[in-house]
Amino acid sequence: MELIYEIISGWAKAGYMPAIFEHTFMIRGLLAAFIIGPLLGAIGTVVVTKKLSFFTQTIGNAAMSGVAIGLMFGEPVDGTYAGLYGFCLIVALLMTFVKNRSRLSNDTIIGVVLAQVLGIGIIMMIIVTSQFNIHQVEAILFGSLITLNDTDIIALAGAALVVGILFTFSFNRIMLAGFNSILAKARGFRPVLFEYIFVTFMTIVVVSSLKMIGALLVLVLVVVPAAGAQNIVHNLRQFVWVSVIFSTISTTGGLLLSGFLPVPSGAVIVLVSSILFYGSLLLKPFLGRAGVSQGEL
Amino acid sequence: MLSPTKNSISANGDLLEVRNLAVSLGGNKILDKVNLAVKHGTIHALIGPNGAGKTTLIRSIMGGMPHQGLIRFLFTGNGRIGYVPQLLEFDHSVPITVFDFLSLMLQTTPVFLSRRRNKRAGIKRILAATDCEHLIDRLVGGLSGGEFRRVLLAQALTPTPELLLLDEPASNVDEYGVRQFEEMLVNLKQNHGHSILMVGHDLQMIIRIADRITAINRTVTFDGSADELQDPTMVARLFGLG
Repeated sequence: MELIYEIISGWAKAGYMPAIFEHTFMIRGLLAAFIIGPLLGAIGTVVVTKKLSFFTQTIGNAAMSGVAIGLMFGEPVDGTYAGLYGFCLIVALLMTFVKNRSRLSNDTIIGVVLAQVLGIGIIMMIIVTSQFNIHQVEAILFGSLITLNDTDIIALAGAALVVGILFTFSFNRIMLAGFNSILAKARGFRPVLFEYIFVTFMTIVVVSSLKMIGALLVLVLVVVPAAGAQNIVHNLRQFVWVSVIFSTISTTGGLLLSGFLPVPSGAVIVLVSSILFYGSLLLKPFLGRAGVSQGEL
Repeated sequence: MLSPTKNSISANGDLLEVRNLAVSLGGNKILDKVNLAVKHGTIHALIGPNGAGKTTLIRSIMGGMPHQGLIRFLFTGNGRIGYVPQLLEFDHSVPITVFDFLSLMLQTTPVFLSRRRNKRAGIKRILAATDCEHLIDRLVGGLSGGEFRRVLLAQALTPTPELLLLDEPASNVDEYGVRQFEEMLVNLKQNHGHSILMVGHDLQMIIRIADRITAINRTVTFDGSADELQDPTMVARLFGLG
């Protein structure tokens, strides 16, 4: 890792990159942005198709409880991995289980859990730390680039590699199950199994990106690049690639800008992805096929 | 996909046999004592009022419904069942073309990584079976009811199934589309030897094309040829109008 930092900060000192990249935390951020951007973009296409936007937000909110649980079991403040990943995965899989086993709609289940995991998380956090530490809460809600450490980057790269490969090779089935589960079942695929697989992938990616983007804003990176891509693409292949490009521009561009502005990186990433979204909306009449996609049935 | 009992072609020409089928959901009997037999190379129609259990019967045959009684397939080949569902709910704004839609089902290479040009000829051939190869680049969300039915039928025919299950194939389709669809089904039966079990609500269409008709309303209320169903009092009785 040190070698990478030296090389990049060397480039920054030599003037090939903005001077802000002389700082190690910015280099870590940039690495994270390049790793997480494409994954969030690709996963976003399925999230939009399956209408899982607020499901994603619930996973983000569950991070608050996850961190508190990690601290409760003695994990260090800047590395509550077991608590975070463990609790968020449990919440995600449990919600999917309830959705498949009960008559409650997805929307209702999300409504029940969404605020609970945040509220209860804050209570647990206060109990565990015996005080209300606003900075800790803020770091979870809005992300905290400065706390990103080497372990985070290695964990992120490992998770991205595994999820990236598995997601790519199960993409057709995940997408078909997301598009229409009855048809997927009739073709001999197992839509419920692939739903669980996808939810697991999504949770890992969302939790991995929390330090950079924050629990409250992670929803944006999952939904907005895919929504922007939807405005201008003509087929599924373009949908995935344009979403990946939009998401990567948002994470890296947002990070770069946050180096110059006194605001959290997550907020600037939201800003960049929003600009891309509205830009694509403006281009829609020239590039999109609105008339066709909104056609009669 | 499904694992039906394989057997040599039955002496009486049956392809599917349903005997004493019963399905209960939440304490209610949806289907009870249902018996029917679908013969090789015929169009067999299922009719009945709304809520009669037609879709439940189709789902039981597909293997997706816990049931009592016997469902036996007498397949001789690949044992594949091609299925066209009744209503497909999906987000119409998702940018999936007809080409993508079929590719998702028929290829293992991730759709966003595969070379589209190499695959086009194959997908066009599949669509040609239901005269809709011109729809290949259209977005699925922008197709009319009739167009989408053709695409769904094309996917159900690939790879060639031994039994085609169609759930309300003519719903959401205009009169012209219905006639075209009829011709297509008759062509599949006569020229390609397909066996078709279809649920329908358009009685006129069914009388025109079906070799055998089974009416159900929780249980079988009629089982015979189209001619026997021509009697108006019979129709009124079946649909609870008389």
